[in-house]
Amino acid sequence: MRYDYVVIGAGVSGITTALILAKSGFDVALVEKSPRIAPLIRGFSRHGVYFDTGFHYTGSFGDGEILDLFFRYLGLDDQLEKTPYDPQGFDLIRNLEAGFEFWFPYGYHRIRQRLHATFPAEKDAVDTYLQAVEATYHAFPYISLNTDAFSVAMPSGIHGPSLQQFLDRLTDNRLLKWVLSIHCLLHGVPPEEIPFTNHACIVGPYFESVHGIQGGGGSLVRALDGQLAKLGVAVYCGTGVREIRFAADRTLTGVYLEEGKNLDCRGCVSTVHPRELLNLVPESLFRPVYRKRLERLEETSSAHILYARCDSSLDRMARANVLISPHLDLTGLGADQALQHRPVYLTAARSKKARSFKAGLIAICPASIAQMSRWAHSVNGKRPADYVIFKENMGTQLGRYIETACPEVAGKIDWADCATPLTLRDFSHSPFGSLYGVKHKVGQHNPLPLTKAPGLFLAGQAIVAPGILGAVVSAFLVCGIIIGHCRLLKALRKYR
Amino acid sequence: MTDAEIIALINISLTEEFELKMEDLKPEALLFDDLELDSLDIVDMVVVLESAFQFKIREEESIRQIRTLGDIHNFVINKKNALLN
Repeated sequence: MRYDYVVIGAGVSGITTALILAKSGFDVALVEKSPRIAPLIRGFSRHGVYFDTGFHYTGSFGDGEILDLFFRYLGLDDQLEKTPYDPQGFDLIRNLEAGFEFWFPYGYHRIRQRLHATFPAEKDAVDTYLQAVEATYHAFPYISLNTDAFSVAMPSGIHGPSLQQFLDRLTDNRLLKWVLSIHCLLHGVPPEEIPFTNHACIVGPYFESVHGIQGGGGSLVRALDGQLAKLGVAVYCGTGVREIRFAADRTLTGVYLEEGKNLDCRGCVSTVHPRELLNLVPESLFRPVYRKRLERLEETSSAHILYARCDSSLDRMARANVLISPHLDLTGLGADQALQHRPVYLTAARSKKARSFKAGLIAICPASIAQMSRWAHSVNGKRPADYVIFKENMGTQLGRYIETACPEVAGKIDWADCATPLTLRDFSHSPFGSLYGVKHKVGQHNPLPLTKAPGLFLAGQAIVAPGILGAVVSAFLVCGIIIGHCRLLKALRKYR
Repeated sequence: MTDAEIIALINISLTEEFELKMEDLKPEALLFDDLELDSLDIVDMVVVLESAFQFKIREEESIRQIRTLGDIHNFVINKKNALLN
């Protein structure tokens, strides 16, 4: 089989890359190790409840906003029904140490008003922060389609300031700093490490608008699947890649699959974890310095996730999620601390039968995969008995913690199961089961879309940012490099 | 660290991390033309120098002037001296 491009990894960034290239006239193949595409976001059902995994809500998806425009370009819009979160409070954030809670609205003017009302002595700090977030987010490539195609460049957060440093310069108010840092849970990097620029690019979309999708990540996967078929992308699922092949002159010649098939091609976009990429290419392809750079990239933390069915309504979570933090100090995001000292993110699960929010609850609590080391060599479905006991205990503890920290759900959980860092690792084929993959942190040089190997490109959260929007932007960025930013930006502008 | 030791450490790092040949590492060697580095190598160069000399390199004006291996030697020597003073 001969293709123009082979895309490795059918997550959101890989699928989007394949769709853009196919739409641009190339013959494209997409390879996925899991039996089906997009394993991370397709969710699952238990006891009549659909539980989302990997996708809970997204920013900048309102009519005319950038994700809406990307989805229209990709032909997904008529298959997806947006479900707006509450503009007056898309997240209820609660601090147990300060006995404080705050409904975080969306729309910059609403956020400004609400923060001014809550922190009247801090209006300048609030305004400076919000202006900086908005300006930084809109300066990112492909977020503003007015970008000059010749000056597409990713902002570098490598030298900082970190979010913590940025906020420390603005105010001494610890509670305000906590309010402006709690959304670190959306990228998994603590405030003392995340560059302000990266934080702004991840929270900026949510400050614009917040939406879910009717049917959750499962609906998005079905829409993406339909477009892959419509645009003639050849999808190879259930087989990993054994190697990316190069000729003696370093020209990329093909992608060899674990099942023994060779896909000839002239180019390849890898969306797998950068460290996994090293296992797929000849050792001599990259210099030692670049290999070490990829090997040493730090990971975001993993998580214990509780999936619970509830026997009655979770009214307050119908159009909002709940973020609970036991402490004002978010250093390290608590993954290594005792469970009751870690923050937790709660979101509703939906009944399969009707548009009801009575069905269930998903609770995500940071955790370190290092704590699971004694079972590291086991795989899903074949775990030893002591792991099963650990998992059950963790589920019970997490349930108790949530019922204490969030009395709204107390006594309503009637069935629950728990995922551990090992579950995440094995389901998402991510080497460390991290929630958001590779960190973006001050002092760390993440890889760029271009590599030193001609024809080999990189996309995915490690390159740009986590989340649906980060994955989609990384796809547009790499495709812009392949087909020309000028051409791609022009094609996108038609959908404004 | 003497200037000669700094130059030796830079050259050894370049042979190990960039797989350049020691005999090609002449001070007048142009990075892009003679040593066949390109813009993608700049980040890796920064990583190597930061790791070898335990300092941080920001987007300083003197970086933009670098054309030859000798310019790198001088940049690091000046930076080390500036840190000592």
